[in-house]
Amino acid sequence: MNLMAEILIQVIIAFLAGSLLLGLHRKVMARVQKRPGPPIVQQLIHSLKFFFKETAFPKTVSKVFYIGIVFILALIWVVGVIVGPVAKDSLLILFGVYAVYKIVEHNSGSSSGSPYGKLSCVRAVLSAATELPLFAAIVFVYMVTGTMNIGEIITYQSVHGPLIYSIPLAALMFFMLILTKSPYSPFAITKDKVLISGFETEHFGFLRGFMLFSEAIAWYVLLWVFLTIFFGPLNAVGYLIGMIVISFVTGFINATTPLLSPNHSVMTQITIGAICFAGTALMIFTGVVA
Amino acid sequence: MLDYMIYLITFAAGSILGLLYSYKQHGEPFVAVTKFNVPFAIVSIAGWVLGFCSGNVILSAIGFLLAGFVMGERPGYGRKETAVGLIIAIIVYVLLKRPLCMM
Repeated sequence: MNLMAEILIQVIIAFLAGSLLLGLHRKVMARVQKRPGPPIVQQLIHSLKFFFKETAFPKTVSKVFYIGIVFILALIWVVGVIVGPVAKDSLLILFGVYAVYKIVEHNSGSSSGSPYGKLSCVRAVLSAATELPLFAAIVFVYMVTGTMNIGEIITYQSVHGPLIYSIPLAALMFFMLILTKSPYSPFAITKDKVLISGFETEHFGFLRGFMLFSEAIAWYVLLWVFLTIFFGPLNAVGYLIGMIVISFVTGFINATTPLLSPNHSVMTQITIGAICFAGTALMIFTGVVA
Repeated sequence: MLDYMIYLITFAAGSILGLLYSYKQHGEPFVAVTKFNVPFAIVSIAGWVLGFCSGNVILSAIGFLLAGFVMGERPGYGRKETAVGLIIAIIVYVLLKRPLCMM
C-alpha cells in the first residue's frame, strides 16, 4: 500500500480507536462512581463537535504561538503513529515524541496568558518525572533484546516470548506512564481541576478540537507501544482486548484514587520508578533475565 | 488496515445513529431500564456475529454498524442486548474458529 495512504489510515484508526477507548475510560469511571456516565461514543462526538464551534481568542494570548502550538501537538502524535504502528521504527524516536509532548504541554499553558495555563505550564516541568521511568523502561528493553527497533523487538518476542514475563517491573514503569497520561489520573497534575482544564483552559473551538484529536491519538499510540513491546506479536483481536483491558484498569484506578498534589505525585512516580529500576537491574545483572 | 478503519467508522456511525434514535424514542430523564428489548437483542446478535465471524469486509462492516447501533443507545438502554449479542458472537467465534463464509 502507498505509504501516505497507510499513514492516513493509521491516523484515522488511531483517532477513532483512541476516542472510543477514552469514551470507555469515562464510562468505567462513571460506573465505579455509580453514575450512568456518557455513552462510549460521546468522546468522539465531543472531539468532532469542537471543530465546528466558534473559536475565540483571549486578549492575553501570544497569538502565533497560541495557535501554532496545537498544530505542533497534533503533528507530534501523528509522528508517533508513523514511528509506531506504521514504520515500527526506533523506540528512541517515540521517547523523543513524548519529550516534545511535554514541551508542547508546557508551552501551550504559557502561550495562553491565563494564570491557570501558566500554573499548568509550571507543573508540566514537574511532571517530567514520568519520563525518567519511561526512559529506564526503554533502556531495559534494549538491554534484554539488544535493539531499539520495534519491529526487531517483535521478532525477538516471537522467539523468546513476551517481555512482560522477563522484565515485568519495566512493564510496570511503562504502565505508570500510561496511567499518568490517562484522564483524571492521580498523577495528572497539569490538568488538576483546581486549574480548570490546565494548559487547555484557554483553547476553544477548533483549537480544542485539535487538542482532543491529539489526546485520542496519544492514548492509542501509548497503548499500542506498551502492548507491542511487552506482549509480543499480537493480532488485531489481541490489540483490541489489550487496549480495552488497559483502559478499563486505568479507569478503575482513576475513579478510586484522588488526585495527588504535585510534590506527592512526583515523589510517588520517582519512588515507583526507582524500585522498578533497581528490581529490573538486579534481575538482569544476577542473570534471572537471560 | 483499511478493513479495520472501515469497521471503526461503521461502528462509530452506528453508535451515533443509535444515540440519536434512542434519544428520539426516550426523552425522559435517566432510568435504568430493566426490560429486555427482544428486537434490539436480535439486531445486536446479528451485528456482533456478522462483525466477528463473517470473514467478509462488507458483511462485517454492516455487522459493526448494527452492533454499534444497539451499543450506542443512550445510557440505560441496550446494555443487556449488547451483552447477549457479544456473548453469543464470542461463542460462535470460538466454536467455528473460522469465518462463516468459508463453511
